[in-house]
Amino acid sequence: MTRVVRELLSRRLLFVTGKGGVGKSSVAAALGVLAARRDIDTVVVEVGRDRALAGLLQGDRPLEPGDGCTPVPVSPHLFTLHLEPEAALTEYLELQLRVRRLVRLVVGNPGFRRLLDAAPGWRELITLGKLWHLESQRDGAAPRWGLLVVDAPATGHGLSLLSVPHVVLDTVRLGPLRRHTDWVQGLIQDRTRTLVLPVTLPEELPVKETRELRESVRELGIGLGPLLANGIEPVPELPELGALLAALEGAQLAELPDGAALRSIVEHAMRRARLQRGFLDELAQESEEPLVELPRLLEGVETREQVERFADALEAALAAAEVEA
Amino acid sequence: MSGAWLDRRVLVTVGTGGVGKTTVAAALGLAAARRGKNVLVLTIDPARRLADALGVTGLDHEVREIPRAVLESAGVPGGAALSAMMLDTKRTFDELLDRYAPDPEARERILENPIYRNLTDALAGSREYSAMEKLYQLHSEGKYDLIVLDTPPASHALDFLEAPRRLTGFLDSQLLRLLFLPARAMGRTGFRLFRLGSNMLLPLVERITGIEFLRMVSEFLLAFESLWEGVGERAREIDKLLRDPATGFLLVVGPDPVQRRRAAEFWERLDQEEIHLAGMVVNRIHDWPAGHAPPALDEAARAKAIDQLAARLDVPTARASATALIDLILRQAALARRDQGLGATLGHELPLDARDVRVIPLFAEDVHALEGLGRMAERLVAEADRV
Repeated sequence: MTRVVRELLSRRLLFVTGKGGVGKSSVAAALGVLAARRDIDTVVVEVGRDRALAGLLQGDRPLEPGDGCTPVPVSPHLFTLHLEPEAALTEYLELQLRVRRLVRLVVGNPGFRRLLDAAPGWRELITLGKLWHLESQRDGAAPRWGLLVVDAPATGHGLSLLSVPHVVLDTVRLGPLRRHTDWVQGLIQDRTRTLVLPVTLPEELPVKETRELRESVRELGIGLGPLLANGIEPVPELPELGALLAALEGAQLAELPDGAALRSIVEHAMRRARLQRGFLDELAQESEEPLVELPRLLEGVETREQVERFADALEAALAAAEVEA
Repeated sequence: MSGAWLDRRVLVTVGTGGVGKTTVAAALGLAAARRGKNVLVLTIDPARRLADALGVTGLDHEVREIPRAVLESAGVPGGAALSAMMLDTKRTFDELLDRYAPDPEARERILENPIYRNLTDALAGSREYSAMEKLYQLHSEGKYDLIVLDTPPASHALDFLEAPRRLTGFLDSQLLRLLFLPARAMGRTGFRLFRLGSNMLLPLVERITGIEFLRMVSEFLLAFESLWEGVGERAREIDKLLRDPATGFLLVVGPDPVQRRRAAEFWERLDQEEIHLAGMVVNRIHDWPAGHAPPALDEAARAKAIDQLAARLDVPTARASATALIDLILRQAALARRDQGLGATLGHELPLDARDVRVIPLFAEDVHALEGLGRMAERLVAEADRV
């Protein structure tokens, strides 16, 4: 196991975030698979309304839907959880108030439900609270869960999630809420346990959003892990490009289009490659953390089989990033 | 039908993140301006180079006109105009406060509330709501022939359609007053309905959250309540505008399998909402030279192509270079095969008239430069370019 992989998987909580459409869920699922292959009991946690993870991680048979706060087993050492704030809140209130009937009365009260609908921030807070709860669960002396990989919401909302403890700690000075938020903040600001992994694409807007995301995460005092550039189109080394293009002139190769058409295809691909290289260089320049280049898989990352292949690619890319660094 | 999209008063580009919605919105704006219209593009977060190329560097929450010189070089005739504005959720809400807050004190109270300051973005549907609010406001001013709205990327289809309803629906002001004002303020009905609330609920919640937090939340909700009557009326008007026949929704789709699947989910939601889809833009597909079908070579044919190319090369690394180049070409062919006929397939699935589907190739040059944007604009209105 390479150092980068080892250090990543030795954490307890990894937040995978980035602009919408960059492939956060695929990356989170692949990280889960990598950890589970090493016999680490891993929960890939999905936050938000999307339900993509079950489809990505399940094999031939569909997964049970789960109750919104208990990890569902997927395969050896791998679990998934679609975290439902309402379910997590009920669980929390039961732990706090200790009388289940009372909790039902509160949670079932229409007034309380309307209040919940309206009140901002509690979903983020209870989500982090539930992650803390999972992290702190013990099986004897050992942690019940080795690693939690969070498929976090897209940048803006993802940052709201990470900043909500600040808002609470600024206002609330006493009581259980203060105490519990202190615990949560203690976990997410502890770089030995928690890292944020930004995922991006070699395109202008995702690169820009990643820059802003990384700044905000630093300001929140949270650790940053390797920067994952997804969707990288592989470009071969072509030192003899000039000679190659000349050789295509007038050629008719097997069943391929004529040389002139091939030439325009190659030139198009090389121009795209230069654009891509430019964005990768920009990312590498401003990142102190390793830059990991994840290849674009032609068939996509939609099934468990494809996630396994993507996990292989992720592992190789993490190793390559280490060599670079 | 060519250009019929551009005859509408409002075009809304929708789709998941990462499909190039913002660029498509800008290109639509340019295409309409080229046809002599006065156009405004409302965008979420334009690429810096796109803003630079359009001569509106540092675009922010103000309407900015694209300079005349830029328009001329982009083929926009005199009399037509193109403007752009970047949506800013927090600023839009601040403006709502200015308009609807009952008094300056209430306004200050909200502005200073930590929840408002930090979590406006997290408030369910606030980004989407603010986009709709701004669209409605500018549309009412009637200054533009066409407004193109680039919506926030919604991974979970059409949050923005629900946003006005969610925002207004859940802040039932009567309820909040009953929950948070002292008991004496309650009427008899309220008292009966929320007896549980007043007797038991709050002390319980308070036991966990502490009184300060509860006060902060209640202040936030009460203060916001003052806005709600105005906003509620507004939400109904916005809903009407979105369903107006002069408003068209354009679904932007990318060729990746995930993006294709999400597009179908998106369309389903639109359909449920009884929103009519005006068309679809399939963006960034991999082209293959006209007159050929992208080939799939078997191992023998691949080896043959490599041999033939290597034989034509007079360099020491002939075989390695030829292999790399042929594999590069085959990768492009595989991408083109994947994307081939995608416009027709997706259009058929939705179902959309073939005339309402436009296919935009992955350009080799920067679409954020004026020239690239112009090329995309042409593809968006050209009738001949259908796959």
